[in-house]
Amino acid sequence: MKKAILYKEWIKTRLYFPISLAISLAFIVFLILRLQRVAHFKGVEHIWNIMLSHDVIFIELLNFVPVVLGSLLAIVQFIPEMQQKRLKLTLHLPFNQQKMILIMLSVGFGEILLIYLVNYSVLYTYLQSILAPELTGRILITSLPWYICGITVYLLTAWICLEPTWKRRFVNLFLSCGIIRIFFMNDVPQSYDSFLFALSIFTLSCLFLPLLSVDRFKMGKQDLS
Amino acid sequence: MIQENVIECKNLTHYYDKHLIYENLSFNVPYGHIFGLLGKNGTGKTTTINILNGYLQPKSGECRIFGENIQQMTSETRRRMALLIEGHVQYSFMTIEEIEKFYSAFYPRWEKAVYYELMNKLKIAPKQRICHMSCGQRSQVALGLILAQHAELLILDDFSLGLDPGYRRLFIEYLKEYATAENQTIFLTSHIIQDMERLIDDCIIMDYGKILVQKSVQELMNKFCRYTFSVNQSIGGLPNDSELYNSSVIRGHAETYSFSKADYIEGWLKNCGIEYSEFKTEYLDLEDIFIGLTGKY
Amino acid sequence: MIRFSKILFAFIIVVQLFWLLPWFYHFTTDTPTHIPFTLYSIVNNDFACLDYNSEKGIKYTDRRGNIYTNRQFDSILPLFYFRQLASDGRLPDSLNGVEITPQKIRTSNFMFRLSASEVNVKKTPLHPLLESMSGRVDLKMPDDVCRFTDSGIEFIDMATNTIKQKKSKLFTSLMKKKGFEFPLNCIGGNPTNRKDFDDGYFLTDAKHQLFHLKQVCGRPFCRFIALPDSMKIKHIIVREFAARKFHALLVDTSNRLWVLDMPDYTLHLLPINEYNPQKHDLEIIGDMFNWTISLSKADKVEVFALNAADYSFIDSLQYLSPPSIPHQLGHYIFPFEIKFTSYDDQYTYPRLTDFSAKACCLWALLIMIVLFLIYKQTH
Repeated sequence: MKKAILYKEWIKTRLYFPISLAISLAFIVFLILRLQRVAHFKGVEHIWNIMLSHDVIFIELLNFVPVVLGSLLAIVQFIPEMQQKRLKLTLHLPFNQQKMILIMLSVGFGEILLIYLVNYSVLYTYLQSILAPELTGRILITSLPWYICGITVYLLTAWICLEPTWKRRFVNLFLSCGIIRIFFMNDVPQSYDSFLFALSIFTLSCLFLPLLSVDRFKMGKQDLS
Repeated sequence: MIQENVIECKNLTHYYDKHLIYENLSFNVPYGHIFGLLGKNGTGKTTTINILNGYLQPKSGECRIFGENIQQMTSETRRRMALLIEGHVQYSFMTIEEIEKFYSAFYPRWEKAVYYELMNKLKIAPKQRICHMSCGQRSQVALGLILAQHAELLILDDFSLGLDPGYRRLFIEYLKEYATAENQTIFLTSHIIQDMERLIDDCIIMDYGKILVQKSVQELMNKFCRYTFSVNQSIGGLPNDSELYNSSVIRGHAETYSFSKADYIEGWLKNCGIEYSEFKTEYLDLEDIFIGLTGKY
Repeated sequence: MIRFSKILFAFIIVVQLFWLLPWFYHFTTDTPTHIPFTLYSIVNNDFACLDYNSEKGIKYTDRRGNIYTNRQFDSILPLFYFRQLASDGRLPDSLNGVEITPQKIRTSNFMFRLSASEVNVKKTPLHPLLESMSGRVDLKMPDDVCRFTDSGIEFIDMATNTIKQKKSKLFTSLMKKKGFEFPLNCIGGNPTNRKDFDDGYFLTDAKHQLFHLKQVCGRPFCRFIALPDSMKIKHIIVREFAARKFHALLVDTSNRLWVLDMPDYTLHLLPINEYNPQKHDLEIIGDMFNWTISLSKADKVEVFALNAADYSFIDSLQYLSPPSIPHQLGHYIFPFEIKFTSYDDQYTYPRLTDFSAKACCLWALLIMIVLFLIYKQTH
């Protein structure tokens, strides 16, 4: 049964997954080419010196990419569940309802994590070839909140999508905007270092927010049409 | 242990905000029966289905399916129930093969052959997604999926919605055949009554906020009659009587519906001092009975 | 799980309420606070203040309340406004018996600021060590950077991203020979080529001993600098000013500010109040006669005038910056505030600030009144 749930989620996201992976990789490749260009024109020392003397990590362009990818994945995965109240079908399946929602979320979570890991691996492979581990680490750790935010946004968008009433959906949207803001309050490199663990725990706990929407759906909370 | 009643609902009352849907609705669906909840749009049919499936908490009252309170329904019980959502909603992003593969994993008694028997009647490409099918084709996919589950109870919400007569007939025939052969219990709602007498054993006919009648179809068809007669053209309408439904007079042509026999109607007319002629008694089909009970408006 | 979801939902609302509402309140009610720009005047032997007021404009004054014109103000701070005075032909030939020229003033003047937010920031532990004696006028950034490990110093060639083994060994062995105990404890330097000369790095080792490290003609220069007993340095500031008066400013663990003089490495304790680089902003404006040191703290700015020759205390004043009325009112509204960033650092993490017992009591009272009214209505 778990396999079947995974299968359904894969069907929903099988088109989006490679596209988003390709888009994210396109961004990474573009950034690598840009760095290569700087290294070619001014020497790789220029990149080192700029990084050591300024608050620059050269991949600022990636800032909102994980957020956009995360929210789109949730939309692709959960809007079909809410169209024509199709969630009723899902909840009627002979399987623990909460567990099923968590499995569905885990699929998206896993896919987005995989995309981010591929991004990170490509970026790491390139950066460590031209930069010292301290600088590579600085770039990757600085971008980590953006990726954690991407996962959080995925879960928050799922929470909003699964919410059955528009009024509460707007409340959730407002709260989500506040949460996302927390991830982008400071663009100084490594400024989130001491907050990363707490942010990760919060992100993991956001897995449970969509259950609230599903519970409200089950209670019959709905807009009168 | 086989339950005598598959569904037992007691004193269901529900409101949307302050708008009363119904009050103290009670009914039982016996094992092996096909039970129809009939009513015009907005009389609370889907609300009842939602309550039965645990998607809505009634303001008061209790529902049990297979003896289990629907609020704490286990997945085992859900496995014994097949559900058809209003509009034949299914996972339309899947193809017929994918959806069969998906559902089959959840039902140990899954009958692939039943599903594909229905699918083979449809002229669709194997890779065609459900969202690209016509409403009639989608209804067959939905029917195939609920029949293949081999469930003990089928709950169908307004299955006739959007179906042309051909698909409606096909749907009903298949359903009837399987339900009878497998001794399945069916609880369905519909606002289209045509063909329904071929299918259901018992029914509740609902009006806004109340139940008009709860009887077997046979009893309804045997007892509920339309009485027509001519009256003086000056009479604008007939007096009210608790035994009569939806009486009307149009240009001296009177019409009323009742479970009472012709003797009672004629006696009542005499008591009211209404002169009449050409008195006729008609036995009705289910659709006319429905109109007789709920009115044309 | 649903209970956890509900708790999480409530948690999100509470956090956002105590974060966004106070933020919005301060955003709409905050008024600017102006601390007058203050310098010690060698002419008046008093502090001269330039105060900006949005209504009255710029006001030039001193501590005694004398009001000056723009031109007069230039004259009482001749070493600060020397370019204006020289342009007007009003620059005196000598001050306090010392001959002055624009060139001399320019060389001896220096100014620098160090805010807590510059100190409280995550830095990359890689340090470009410039060549201090290249023989060229312009300094050049090196082609390598160094890192300190538990057992030595490593130079990494930037172009190839590889360790320069020979150079690393050379520097490590000299440092060890001079008594440096790895690992590094604290380091201060100014690795830029936009300065008059290079003075390398000042660093403390595992035993809190202070050393001066430079690269001279490609060779290591490492010098041990004796510190008073039990003095532990926690922050080192290096700025190579043209006057070459001091090597570095040192802050010890007791929050005292020291000057390490050039060229004899003598240490002088500056007679100013406590300075904690993690919490306070420091500004020093120095000339050939005086240093004016400003310490900006949470609720006040302390200004000290020191004699530039021997760092002796001349004078001091203090500006209090009491919270504005809306800010004080805020303490009656918000029991506490949640902030994620601070003006004092470059870190982002949640912090509970401005805890107010007054607001707690007020809210408790309000809740009790509401509960009492509800009780009265229902009974």
